[in-house]
Amino acid sequence: MTTAILKQPTEPVEPTAARKPNRSFVHGLITNKKALVGMIVMLVFIALALLAPVLFPGDPSRITAMASLEPSPEHWLGTTAKGQDVLALTVHASRSSLFVGLTVGFASTFIGILVGLASAYFGKFIDEALSLVTNVFLLLPGLPLLVILAAFLPPGLGTVILVLVVTGWAGSARVLRSQALSIRSKDFVAAAVVSGERAGRIMFREILPNMASIVMSTLLACVIYGIGAQAGLEFLGLGDVSTVSWGNNLFWAGNEGALLTGSWWVFVPSGVCIALVAFALALINYAVDEVTNPRLRKIKTPKITERSAAK
Amino acid sequence: MEETVRFILRRLGFYLIAFWASITLNFLLPRFMPGDPVSRMFARTQGKMQPEQIDALRKLLGVDDRPLWEQYIDYLHNIVTGNMGISISRFPAPVTEVIAAQIGWTLLLGGTALVIAAVVGNLLGILAAWRRGGAIDSALPPVLIFIGSFPYFWLAMGALYLFGVILGWSPLRHAFTDGLEPAFTWEFIGDVGAHLVLPALTIVLVSIGGWMLGMRNTMIATNSEDYITMAEAKGLRPGRIMFRYAARNAMLPSVTSFGMSLGFVVGGAMLTEVVFAYPGVGYQLLNAVQGLDYPLMQGLFLTITAAVLLANFLVDILYVRLDPRVRSN
Amino acid sequence: MTQPRYLRSARITAAGLAVGALLLTGCAATVNKSGTSSSTSDNTNAMLTIPREDMSTFDRNFNPFAPAVNPMVNQAIYEPLLVFNPAKGDTTPWLATEWKTAADGKSITFTLRDGVKWSDGKPLVADDVAYTFELQKKLKGGYEYLVGATAEGTNKVTFTFNKPWSPALYEVGQLPILPKHIWSAIADPAKDANATPVGTGPYTEVDSFQAQSYALKKNPNYWQPEKQKIAGIKMLAMSGNDAANLASVNGDVDWSTQFIPNIEKTFISKDKEHRHYWFPPTGAMINWQLNTTKAPFNDPKVRKALSMAVDRDQVTKIGMSGYAQPADCTGLSGNYEKWKNPAVKDNCSWTKLNVDEANKVLDEAGYPKGADGKRTLKDGMPFEFKISVGASSSDWLSVANVISQNLQAVGVTAKVDSPDWASVVAGYEQGTFDSGIVWSANDPSPFKYFNNAMGSATVKPVGTKTFDNYHRFGDPKADALLQDFVAAGDEAKQKDVAYKLQEEYNDAAPLVPLFSGPEWGDYTDVHFTGWPSQDNPYATLSDRSPTTVLILTTLEPRK
Repeated sequence: MTTAILKQPTEPVEPTAARKPNRSFVHGLITNKKALVGMIVMLVFIALALLAPVLFPGDPSRITAMASLEPSPEHWLGTTAKGQDVLALTVHASRSSLFVGLTVGFASTFIGILVGLASAYFGKFIDEALSLVTNVFLLLPGLPLLVILAAFLPPGLGTVILVLVVTGWAGSARVLRSQALSIRSKDFVAAAVVSGERAGRIMFREILPNMASIVMSTLLACVIYGIGAQAGLEFLGLGDVSTVSWGNNLFWAGNEGALLTGSWWVFVPSGVCIALVAFALALINYAVDEVTNPRLRKIKTPKITERSAAK
Repeated sequence: MEETVRFILRRLGFYLIAFWASITLNFLLPRFMPGDPVSRMFARTQGKMQPEQIDALRKLLGVDDRPLWEQYIDYLHNIVTGNMGISISRFPAPVTEVIAAQIGWTLLLGGTALVIAAVVGNLLGILAAWRRGGAIDSALPPVLIFIGSFPYFWLAMGALYLFGVILGWSPLRHAFTDGLEPAFTWEFIGDVGAHLVLPALTIVLVSIGGWMLGMRNTMIATNSEDYITMAEAKGLRPGRIMFRYAARNAMLPSVTSFGMSLGFVVGGAMLTEVVFAYPGVGYQLLNAVQGLDYPLMQGLFLTITAAVLLANFLVDILYVRLDPRVRSN
Repeated sequence: MTQPRYLRSARITAAGLAVGALLLTGCAATVNKSGTSSSTSDNTNAMLTIPREDMSTFDRNFNPFAPAVNPMVNQAIYEPLLVFNPAKGDTTPWLATEWKTAADGKSITFTLRDGVKWSDGKPLVADDVAYTFELQKKLKGGYEYLVGATAEGTNKVTFTFNKPWSPALYEVGQLPILPKHIWSAIADPAKDANATPVGTGPYTEVDSFQAQSYALKKNPNYWQPEKQKIAGIKMLAMSGNDAANLASVNGDVDWSTQFIPNIEKTFISKDKEHRHYWFPPTGAMINWQLNTTKAPFNDPKVRKALSMAVDRDQVTKIGMSGYAQPADCTGLSGNYEKWKNPAVKDNCSWTKLNVDEANKVLDEAGYPKGADGKRTLKDGMPFEFKISVGASSSDWLSVANVISQNLQAVGVTAKVDSPDWASVVAGYEQGTFDSGIVWSANDPSPFKYFNNAMGSATVKPVGTKTFDNYHRFGDPKADALLQDFVAAGDEAKQKDVAYKLQEEYNDAAPLVPLFSGPEWGDYTDVHFTGWPSQDNPYATLSDRSPTTVLILTTLEPRK
């Protein structure tokens, strides 16, 4: 209980005992309205991403001569200054953006888990060392580091992912480490150590499952970071300019002076998509918080609380 | 008291090591990049420079061909003596001058936005937690999070066009009207304020959701603590409980976040400054990176790292004062 | 239920912040409105306002030797001996009234104009010219052919060369002249800030200098006072093309030279009566260079075939928004219109789109198409390569994308590789690139262009850093012609040689010329009239070239 104040605000209170929390957790998520909305939105985008080549066959970035057409029945979202169909570009772009976002999210979280578990289990020396490395990376200015790495490594999706993971892992590592440490101090872990369980088993079968909700939170946050940071990099022209992605769409929109010519239809869709995906993930994150921390759940009857009784 | 001192010293020691590691990384990173500043300059002028002039330029700019470890020793020595060298892209201005001239604007923009976002966000979070399920609690967090989900530069450009160009409510660029002499007059301050509104507003919009949500969740967790129930049982006024008991404890994570964010404000909102042509260090850094201006890049990184470290350290000290339990850890 | 006190005060604080912000906006809104209005009031005091998209902040450094020279230093503060106008191909005497090249081509003598004073009142003398070149060679190098500049009396200067060098006239003639009495007294001329410059130019007095704007007012001792009709020049620092475009479109500036996408729709349409643009093709030729040290680019037939696959109309229309002029087989840009060999120009084949011919030539040269329609090289590897271009040049990036698309029609796969320019140029310098979009020399004399395109003297092996002739092509026939060119005393002789050089270029196809880089420039004549245009090409609309001073001395406030 006393550790609750010291944690990050979005961390849930300490997890329940070492039962399998997953079943009720998943059930809680599905019935939660916010999570539902978020998951539906995500599923829609993932479906669009997977079906893009079917829905919009051909190369969406093919340069033709029809320039900057307004939305019309042939082009629902109009065309860019280079004659590309904006709707096709937007849907195709979801592939790259989601791919990079998810990869960065999973990679950062995975590294964070390793760091967290290693710190928690191996204790003193390794913990200090890992914590030092984490803090050094946290101290490095993120965006400038991103800009440098992205500007000068060979362009390509691999570079973008690498760069984002390098700048993003420290945040998740810190959160996961402090959570792992607090679980480490629990009795059931001490019991497992004393009863001679192997290190790997302790880390992955005892500690990790109890961090499930915060791992999920971290994962979602890292994915959001991945998508947003990729868009920022690409807007500066530092991403992989040859791929079709939301950030690159915005980059080209800026270069072709979309807003200057009043071609808002080139500029708006990709931004809205990024916002929707980030928002959907945030909703799911929100819901995870609520499910694991019952106090955060929506109160159905707000009027009568203990507060008013005191008056 | 001795505990506190020991704690602070340990943190200090840790920060010094972190600082050394960071500055070493800051030194190495720019040098991993291909090319050199003079070639870059040559490319930028699209070959209008005569090739024979390149050597002279190299000498002039002090582009270093010495072995890496020699440069590193020099670099460390320079840091200790406060000499950050001469900028290549703003030659011959010394790096300290370049940074000093522009960091004020970055601090103004970032600081103002941070303070407004944190204060208003936290207040909203407290209000939301207080009136669980009320209008603020149900409607505002999702709305603010949605607005904050938009890519930052997208919001900035949209705002600039909507409020600046189409509606004409806001100036379009720079920190103050061109030609106006900076002075401590109401006219100038008002002008600076007018130019600050839109950039700061976009930063606030993007970040306020996070502050609100964070504070709200922590408040809710705090509200269920025993001592709150105790305070209510004792019949203290709700407002007093909310601010003197609950909020005070719930604020601790916010203080940490605020401190960390303050440090990073020094890094400049690069994208803001590009979109609004705001004369801060952020855009200068982008320029420095693209122009391979090693001294300026290093200088900026150093400043940012030092600022973040300092902020962290101050937050730690503040935290010790606010939460005595930390000392005994 | 009364609200808790603290709650209320919280609400009040928040409201207060909001109101305060509004108040600040309100009372300051009136202050800055004047910037955007196009007042019809007194234009005689209006300042010629120009944005600078590549400098986000200004330093009070007016030193012409700085790596990044402040705007207007070499255009409004300092002046050269003569001004060459690429738009018409004519030369205007400026600080010099006449010049004479010696018969052996190894020296030129300039006669200085009488009555020219520096802005501090001292007279311009031949010593100033001599000292300028001395300082230039010492600080920046270059001018390898120049032995020295000697003053003869107070108004004649003779430049002596170590070999006949016909291009010298323009190179020497367009260097801005500095005052000896100021610069000889400066301890470190390379690093001095020259904060209050002394020059012969029309606008030398620095006024209201700030980090993002400064103004230059009239030179009180200018030698053409009747031509100082405008009150002064105001430079604004922008943080990139976007910010500069916004300023142009919004009418906050009079004259701008950055790339504006779709200029008719974005810029002109907002004020058709006053806004104009003119992009004469006098910029450098933009080439698609193929690394001739790598097969198959060492085969001129392959180079020509690839050139025929490029749809230059599409390249210029989509990549350059239709602003650029497609190249012809002379390889020369619009800057050299008067040098073009009509025989070569009219009978041109390999710079025109001809996919069938391209396919035929590639088939015959031994690069067959496979079953999937893609060609293979002689060693069996697929016919694939990269086109390099810097990511920050979005128009050239579009060009590269169009070319890549065009090449698909002939079964060749080209992938656009766009890291930062530093990386791209490093590849060019070392000769490790496959192919890339590149600029070329654009001096008044076409010598440098041809020398860099096919002179053996400029060829360096792969792995040795070079700054010109990245594609490393040397042609012995061209070498002989180039020698003739520099030795040729008068322009008629030079033109003869130039014709032959173009014939050789047409034969060898060392580069794939794409289009003449346009010289960007647009303006609004709400405040000032007298701009150059297609009908009156007395200068280009560039604000950072030698012809800029011609515009500054021709503009007048709108009455």
